Amino acid sequence: MTDAAVELHDVRKTYRMGDQTVHALDGVSLTIGRGSYTAVMGPSGSGKSTLMNVVGCLDTPTEGVVEVDGVDVTELSDAERTGLRGDEIGFVFQTFNLMPQQTARENVELPMTFQGVGRSERRERATELLESVGLGDRMDHKPNELSGGQRQRVAIARALANDPAIVLADEPTGNLDSDTEADILALFEELNAAGNTILTVTHERLVAEHAERIVHLFDGEIEEIEEIAERRIAGEANR
Amino acid sequence: MNVLESVRMSWRAITGHRLRSVLTVLGVVIGVGSVITFVTLGASLQAAIVGDVATSSPDIAATVGPAGGPEGGPGSAESIPVFTEHDIEQLQGIEGVDAVIPTGQVGIAGLEYRDDRIRWPAVTATTAASFDEDEFADGGPFTAGANETVLNPAAARMFERNVSAGDEITVEFAENDSRTLTVAGVLNESTGFAAVGGGGGTPAIYVPTDPFYTTTAESPATGERQRAYPQLTIRAASYEQVGAVEGPARDYLRNESDASQLKPASYEVSLTTNDALVEQIQGILSTFTNFITGIAVISLLVGAIGIANMMLVSVTERTREIGIMKAVGATRRDVVQLFLVESIILGVIGSVLGTVVGLAGGYAAAELIDLPVSFAPEWFAIAIAVGVGVGIVSGIYPAWDAARTDPIDALRHE
Repeated sequence: MTDAAVELHDVRKTYRMGDQTVHALDGVSLTIGRGSYTAVMGPSGSGKSTLMNVVGCLDTPTEGVVEVDGVDVTELSDAERTGLRGDEIGFVFQTFNLMPQQTARENVELPMTFQGVGRSERRERATELLESVGLGDRMDHKPNELSGGQRQRVAIARALANDPAIVLADEPTGNLDSDTEADILALFEELNAAGNTILTVTHERLVAEHAERIVHLFDGEIEEIEEIAERRIAGEANR
Repeated sequence: MNVLESVRMSWRAITGHRLRSVLTVLGVVIGVGSVITFVTLGASLQAAIVGDVATSSPDIAATVGPAGGPEGGPGSAESIPVFTEHDIEQLQGIEGVDAVIPTGQVGIAGLEYRDDRIRWPAVTATTAASFDEDEFADGGPFTAGANETVLNPAAARMFERNVSAGDEITVEFAENDSRTLTVAGVLNESTGFAAVGGGGGTPAIYVPTDPFYTTTAESPATGERQRAYPQLTIRAASYEQVGAVEGPARDYLRNESDASQLKPASYEVSLTTNDALVEQIQGILSTFTNFITGIAVISLLVGAIGIANMMLVSVTERTREIGIMKAVGATRRDVVQLFLVESIILGVIGSVLGTVVGLAGGYAAAELIDLPVSFAPEWFAIAIAVGVGVGIVSGIYPAWDAARTDPIDALRHE
């Protein structure tokens, strides 16, 4: 076993669009250490989303190896991959993607439901998680009764429900105003400080600078891995 | 994910998407309800028309007569008392037989009503089963074992003063043996009791076999002396069953019955039915069966398309939710299971409501056009099964399709 949460070895992903072949990922190798905080940046079409989907077991690479928590994802069947995704990956989306008919607590319970966690245990854990993201008083509200920032907190709590190996955040602050954005980024920092592995995709340098390092993607290749000497701290940005 | 969990989540989805759920249920209700309404209406119409055409019950008359001679009709002059109580019991055991009614003549000396004495040769002994409740103009059938009688209209008119139910007439069975019988009922004019040759213009007086019929014979099967009759009327449960009853009844009567042994060797048992009437009624029944089936199939088709349409739209609308569920670890099986449970719940609710609506609708429609209400339960079962079945199939296909789609695409779906 390694101390890497996710490892990518020479990953390629090729799409066919009409008679054109598009290399969304063109030989990407990357190690995401346990407890690290990584940002991925790049212009549109650079392969950010594809990288995210491949790491999140939503998509399989055309070539190469993707290991999540030591398991080679490319060798798994669709059902096994789904199981791994539910167990080891937590997603945070730009558009929150909460179940509109379910309360905050039920949304957080959802990944545990599919993993077969018992009802009372689920409820307890969901309550704990929502309290930890500061929504202890909003647990029985439905998404449309919550603000954007609160919705994203619910989504983050949901992402953490099964204690995943890695939390994947796709433009998590893209739909939020700057104050709320700072709150959410502060929450990510807290989670990272508590030992969670975070991979965030963004096109905003200010957001990316909260991470320990930035992976710059261009045309499906890693252009540069930039270590952030002086991380931006959400507390300061908020000032 | 266990079933209880999916029921809970599905119920949540149903109550969450209220309008959509109501519309889906409405689709099932309309489908199932219209089938039941139209089938009920058809069955009622059939019952009404058969009731109008069928002037007598689905009867088979059994008599004995000389072999090779003309078929002995009801009331044949050659009648001799050969059908025992044992034969009646055996015939009643044949599938499709509603009742076996014996008839026999009891010779009398005369009748008297309010000092008006008439010389009269015989009264007819039979059982209460030979009368339908709706055949009576006045009163009702007699009770076995009681001193009661039933008159046809001609008999009621033959005295100086008309006889009506509740009156008492004196029957002189033999010299010095007169008994006073209460008139239990008077038949109406149109009554055509096949066993005794109809209401017609001939006066007829009916008395219960018990205690008035006294002709007996020793039953070869049981060795006891039993009442024996010259004629039996085998009543089938319905016109469709006349054919099915006739064969076994003939076999029994010709080969095994007491009658086959008691009759003179040169005589044979003959069975007669009103063939023309039976054929006509069976024709009507089959026309109606086709008609009802046609209507039901069309209604089911319309209902099924409605249900399928609703489920397809509903699943398509929720592609994004399916994407979310897959992203947080739902397998295809989980997704299909959720939609399946949801379809079943909606299908069952819709079918139950549809049955209630259909029954009420069919009843109201039949009442409105003044038909006797008659239900066809086998179609209710088919309608409900199709309602639930179509809900499931039309829910499972798009759910299966959606569960296969890439979660990335599903999540992008607006």
